[in-house]
This record gives sequence, C-alpha cells and structure tokens, in this order.
Amino acid sequence: MKYLEYMNKLIIEHVITTENCVLFGQNINGGSCLGGLTRNIKVTEKNKIFNSTNAENSLVGFGLGLMMNDASAVFLMKQLDFLLLGIDHLVNTYNIMRSLKDKYPQGSFTIIATVVDSGYDGPQSSFNNFYDLCAIARVDGFNINNKADADHVFTKEFLQPGFRIIALSQRLSKEELNETALPLRVLANGNIFQYSEGSDITIVSNNFSYTIAVDLIQTLNENSIEVAHFHINNIINTDWKEVIENISKTKKIIVIDDSKSIQSSVDNLLSMLVGIEISKKIILKRQIGDDWLYPRSDIFEINKKDILNELLHN
Amino acid sequence: MHNIIVRDLLRVRLSQMLINEKYKEGKFKIPIHLSFGHEAIAVALSHVLGKEDKLLLTHRNIAYNIARANKLRPILDEYLLLKTGLAQGRLGSMNLMNVEGNIIYSSSILANNFSVAAGVAMGEKLKSNPSATFVLGGDGSMEEGSFYESLTMMNSLGLPVVVIIENNEWSLGTHISERRIHIDVEKMTSSLGINYVRLEGNDTCKYMDELQSVRNLSLKDNKPICVEVIVKTLGDRRNPPSPEYPDGKYINYHAGPTHTVNLLQEKPGIILRFDLYDPLFVTSEHVGLKTITELADIVLNELKNELL
Repeated sequence: MKYLEYMNKLIIEHVITTENCVLFGQNINGGSCLGGLTRNIKVTEKNKIFNSTNAENSLVGFGLGLMMNDASAVFLMKQLDFLLLGIDHLVNTYNIMRSLKDKYPQGSFTIIATVVDSGYDGPQSSFNNFYDLCAIARVDGFNINNKADADHVFTKEFLQPGFRIIALSQRLSKEELNETALPLRVLANGNIFQYSEGSDITIVSNNFSYTIAVDLIQTLNENSIEVAHFHINNIINTDWKEVIENISKTKKIIVIDDSKSIQSSVDNLLSMLVGIEISKKIILKRQIGDDWLYPRSDIFEINKKDILNELLHN
Repeated sequence: MHNIIVRDLLRVRLSQMLINEKYKEGKFKIPIHLSFGHEAIAVALSHVLGKEDKLLLTHRNIAYNIARANKLRPILDEYLLLKTGLAQGRLGSMNLMNVEGNIIYSSSILANNFSVAAGVAMGEKLKSNPSATFVLGGDGSMEEGSFYESLTMMNSLGLPVVVIIENNEWSLGTHISERRIHIDVEKMTSSLGINYVRLEGNDTCKYMDELQSVRNLSLKDNKPICVEVIVKTLGDRRNPPSPEYPDGKYINYHAGPTHTVNLLQEKPGIILRFDLYDPLFVTSEHVGLKTITELADIVLNELKNELL
C-alpha cells in the first residue's frame, strides 16, 4: 500500500468510529481529494464533512472554536505553507484555550498538512519548516515516516482531546509505505521511537529523515559499527532523558535533519548535551546556499562514504 | 423602563468609574480598555442572551463582563492577577472571560474571534442545540480579512451567529477618516446575503427588542445577521497644543485610565455627556434624573460594600 493510501485508510477508520466530528478542507469531499488523501472518505450521520472556503486563517480559528465547543475537528490542508496564514490562532487562540483548559469541554482539533519536500516548486513551496511552525506556539507536531509511527500517532493523538498538527511528506506520498520499521522501545510518551540498539554510536533522526537514517545505519552495520537509532515523532519533544543516557554511553552522536529549519528538535537535543563527554559529533543538516530561493531539488542527500571514513579513521 | 434595567446600566457605569479611579492610582498590572458609553448595548445583550447562548468578545469587553457578572470583585481581582479573579488570575490581559457567564472567549487580536465564533456555532449545530452565538467586533476588526472570511463561512454553513460591530469610529488615536475609506457594512454584508441591522441612540429597551428579534430570526433561518451599533467611547481628551493643532488634537478615549471621567459625589456626575451618545442620559430622559441619581447612590453603595 502507498504511504498516502494508508494515511487515508487511517483517517477513515478513526473518523467512522467517532461522533460529533467535523472534517473540513479545500476539495476534500470529492474533487481533487487533496491528491488522493481524502478519497472515498465518508462520515456517519453524527459527523459532518464539507469542502471549505479558501480562508486558512479563519479555518484554523473555526477548528479551535469547534474544539472549544466539545467537537472533534479535523482540518485537512493541501500543504503546510498555507498554515502560515493561521499563526495568530496557533499562538493566541490556542494559548488562551490551554491556559483555561479546565473551563472548556475536552474537544479535539487536528490539522493534517502535507509538507512539500519533493520538488522544484520554487520559493513559494520551500516551506519544509515544520519545526518552526510548531515551535512558535509549542504545538505538538507529528511527522509520519512509516506504518509504525502512523499507527501510533493516529491511535494515540488523532481525534483525542487537545490540539496537534500531523505532517505528511509529499516525497513519500506516492511511495510504498514502509511497513517493516518496528520500534524496539517507545520513549517520552511516544514522542520518540527507538528502532535499533547498538553500543558504538547514537543516531537521532528528525522530520522525514527516517529512511535516510536507516540507509546510513545499514552501511555502518556492514562495517561493524553498531548503532542505537532514535527517531523523533513529535518535534516539540522536551523529554530527552533516555536519548541523552544513550549518548552518554556511546559518546558518539550523529543527528540527521532533512528539514529547512535553521533550528530544530535535533538542535534542541544538542543544546542539552552540555557536560556530556562526546568524542564524535556529526551534524547532518541541509547546507542552505545562496540559491535557496531558486527552484531546486528538495532531496536531502548525505555522503555515507565520508561519514564512514570519519567514524573509522578519526 | 424597568428599574432592573436602570440598575444594570448604573452598575456597568459605576463599576467602570470605580475601576477607573483605581486605574488612575496605578493599581492594575495589565492594560484595560474601558467602555464608558457602551453600557446600553452591553446591558441589552446580557438580557437577551439565552441560557445556552455563547458570547465571544474583543479587548473592549469590560462592560459585557460587568453586565454578566454578579460581582465586581472577581473582575478587579483578575486585573490584579489574583487567584480570586474571574479566571484565577490566569488571563494576564484585558481579555476577560467568564465561561460560566456565557462569555467563552475574548481576544484583543482584531477579528480573531469571528472565525472562532463560527466554529463554536458549528459545534452547537452538531449538537442540535437551539442556541445562538454572539460575537463582537469593532470598526477596526471589520478591516481585517477574517471578518469577510468568517461571514462567508457562517453563511455558507448556515450558522446562527449574531455579529455585532461596535462602531466608535476610532482606532487608537486615529479617526476612521484618517486611515481609510468608508466601509458600508450594510452593502458589504448584503453582498454576502447576510441581513444587516443598525442600532443607534442608546435606548437600552429598544436595543433589547431589536436584539431579541435578531436572535430569533438568526435561529429560525439558521443564518448569520450583522448588527452595527453606533457608539462613542466616552472619556476623551485633547493633546497639548501644537503648530498643527493650536487647540490640541482631539483624541477619543482608547485605553488606560481616563482623567476626564471622575467618580464625583455631586449629582448628576454619573452622566458623562448630555446627548444620545451617553446611555445614562438617554435613560434619564425616560425615567427622570431623580430616579437615576437615587438609584446611583444605592448601586454605588452596593458596589463599595462588595469591594470592602
């Protein structure tokens, strides 16, 4: 099954068993179905689905208003860039609701948005900056990389009381879903999955870089380097205890971040390593050059050979 | 006019006067936008509000909060960020809320609350609750895109929302004519298929009748209705003289303490302006100045006892 088909399946499965749920977004009910994301979506009589107006700022306020009034709201958004128009509500409206949590009923609001990370779309669609958007208001933000994290996020977060954003990858959308990824441990209340155990080095991947990390780990394993791999599911995670404990043991860390955020979750982790003895630190992030405003490939590539040499010979 | 309405008007006016006096003394930690001159619409709306109706306000919410609260002390304490405040001192701004008193949200971000009101109304519709949602804005908020966006959404989704625009013609220290062209709200809303009602003259009972009809119609038709209320926010001043303004530029009251309003012992200091822009003057025309001043003494004593 393709990545996007599976996301659609999860949305339909969860919505069908929920009452008092409102799904909205542009062209979600028929029409283009957001590239297939909402194809064949149906709701029961107790729920509602509608094609919304083009008004992202107000649609975010609308969703929070529904949440304020005990409904479960789901805003399906074509691409994350559009959410820039709703920042006021992410910051102000949601903060008020959080501060008066005990005064309001326990409604739910989820925004599902696609991160454009796959193309040559030029300056307008270069907003692969999910962390920036979530960090501005400390909104929980979940990236979906594979079946395991999708199952976890849709079971534990989607339609649950509170507000969160779920980001999907356009690059992965037409690819086969990774169904083999299985976490060894669920950490920080599900904000982090540990996928492999190893005593030589710790790898922490972020955003949509899970497969990049797995590919690198395979190369390292072939060279007898055993890796403890952690992937950050919720980019606003603040509980690094067990990851830091692991880094304290291996004393080596590689962080991988394929987003375009200058600061991100992995930087947050690195800032927490003060006082920890580290013999090797490799930071794999995008090198943003002068051409960043021009159409260019969004594919994030790493040089495995150089990394291997760095680990074997330095 | 029933004495209860007069007492409510006086309570909103005198409560603000007491707050203003404390504000002048620098007692509050957060900014407050007083609403002298807004008492008629606030009291009328409070009386029309159904048990399950929802009310979403702006930064200039004090008159509505006083009208909906039984006591003044929790409001004062919220401004002082005390645990005995309306929201246990957690709000930290002029944006007071009183969920138990139907005021479920307030925002100082212009037009922010219109779309939230649309969501709230949708929630009521899902539950098949026969309740109306009231949302307030000012003449500044209708310049924001979200005003148009939210009206479009409310009407497209068939939501019974009463959108009330308090038009005081000023934004900070700037009159509308100094910043933009005239916006004809009636034409604008009518282009979206939304009915428009204009309220002016500060007759509280007339406002109550009009708002009751608007509420009933909105619920019957499942449609939003826009009500534009003409108000003057009282407490104005003049800037010091300048070459451009030899008499000092006239500035309508916006926020902070107003030094041109004083809690005077002499009667009838309760009335700030002797024309249709002061709801207390309009009320005195109905019930007589004597009734107003006698009731003012009673209400002021009640308020002072509350604050002991």
